[in-house]
Amino acid sequence: MMIKLDNVSMKFNLGIEKNFSFKEAFIRFFQFNKKKKKPEDFWALKDISFEVEKGEVVGLIGSNGAGKSTMLKIVSGVMKPTKGEVITNGVISPMIELGAGFDNELTARENIYLNGAVLGYSKKFIDQKFEEIVEFSELREFLDVPIKNFSSGMTAKLAFSISTIVDPEILIVDEILSVGDIKFQEKSKQKMMDMIKGGTTVLYVSHSIEAIRDLCTKVIWIEHGKMVMIGDAKEVCDAYYEKQMGKKFVEKK
Amino acid sequence: MFIKNILSNFKRYSFLMSQMISRDFKVKYKRSVLGVLWSLLQPLLMMSVMALVFSQMFKFRMEGVNYLVYLMSGLVMFNYFSEASNNAMTSIVFNFQLMTKVYIPKYIFPLSKCLFVGINFLLSLIPLLLIVIITGAPISLNYLLLPYVFICMFLFTVGIGFILSTISVFLRDMFYIYSIILTIWQYFTPIFYDISMLPMYLQKLFKFNPLYQFVTFARTILLDAKTPSLQSFIWCGLSAIVVFIIGCIVFKKKQDKFIYYV
Repeated sequence: MMIKLDNVSMKFNLGIEKNFSFKEAFIRFFQFNKKKKKPEDFWALKDISFEVEKGEVVGLIGSNGAGKSTMLKIVSGVMKPTKGEVITNGVISPMIELGAGFDNELTARENIYLNGAVLGYSKKFIDQKFEEIVEFSELREFLDVPIKNFSSGMTAKLAFSISTIVDPEILIVDEILSVGDIKFQEKSKQKMMDMIKGGTTVLYVSHSIEAIRDLCTKVIWIEHGKMVMIGDAKEVCDAYYEKQMGKKFVEKK
Repeated sequence: MFIKNILSNFKRYSFLMSQMISRDFKVKYKRSVLGVLWSLLQPLLMMSVMALVFSQMFKFRMEGVNYLVYLMSGLVMFNYFSEASNNAMTSIVFNFQLMTKVYIPKYIFPLSKCLFVGINFLLSLIPLLLIVIITGAPISLNYLLLPYVFICMFLFTVGIGFILSTISVFLRDMFYIYSIILTIWQYFTPIFYDISMLPMYLQKLFKFNPLYQFVTFARTILLDAKTPSLQSFIWCGLSAIVVFIIGCIVFKKKQDKFIYYV
């Protein structure tokens, strides 16, 4: 068992932005019809339980705002669930957003170390893999340029190369499969596929039903924070597609 | 068990912390011609300005006291506290972006800021020593006690930093409030004047200011070449540890809620 979620619920308080300010308090003071506004609770996830075994590739599907990304953040430890428990065994490599902690003022070389440290790599590990990262990113000639002078594509290439250098025990992927120009897209996609198919445990969010069908061994469908269906990839994907589009899924030839 | 946990956690993230500190250093001095030399020059220049203002313009006199060393020691120590606590306070809010992307223990942000400013502080001890030598202040074995008070000051600052960074997540107004508190605190710490100039009741009140205790401890060594009193040792150590522990508790209790207040 690599990941276990036990009755996990996540509550967001949507009204938190305007939680307290003197302006608010002042206005409220002069409102005579004092109706107490209840804070708007929003359950991003409600009573989710499932287990992921070693080597399983689990896909998460559902419409926008269904709670998929929240789930990934809870599993990766960025957020603590309001209720319930999350147990993970093993090193997690979150590919939720690339380039976390990049500093624009620093050079690519310095950022490799900084971003690596943010992702939890050790100095020794980065020293060892440095060449490989540089090679993969195709940015050797720009190593000592501050990344504020990079194009967004170049930054993405660098970020991708750093975060995919590990052999994670648990890989968490949010949509990112490929970045950069045509050539790099192909290369990065291949790398991602290798990682996913390489026997690690994967939790994968995507809106591409085809990718999910191809890659996943198990699929979880969530809607409005609740689990609708869990099971075999093809079955769940077909049911999801039918519900969303009102017609049966037809595989492209 | 608990201590062991903390230590292993600390070891695991020490590389990240060193990276963040070196990032701060690189960014701070990038594009300045003198670079790190500013860490030495700035306190020296600040001291010169204040010394000129107080001794020449206000005709301020402290009989029998090496005023430059007096001023410089107070200034360097207070500057550490004010800069480190301020940076620690903003560190959580400024790093929200990062916190929502990957899991990093949150205490790392304020702590690394206190360490980063701490390195700057250590550098600024060089010009202080220079002033000590030039003005012929006595150097004694008591100097070996200085690290004690510096560690106390560090713990105290980290504790305050934890508390401030927690409050400022929920109440951004703290940024502005604290800048005023710092100004008040600066005047309530005898940096350029002597406490004996004040009325008795204020003198008593001042002794509750940990920064006053720290500065006085250091000055006893730097100016009088004396060993600070036992009372002074206890005061410094106690205020540091109490504030540090309170800070840790407050931070630990609230840190899981930070993410909702982005």
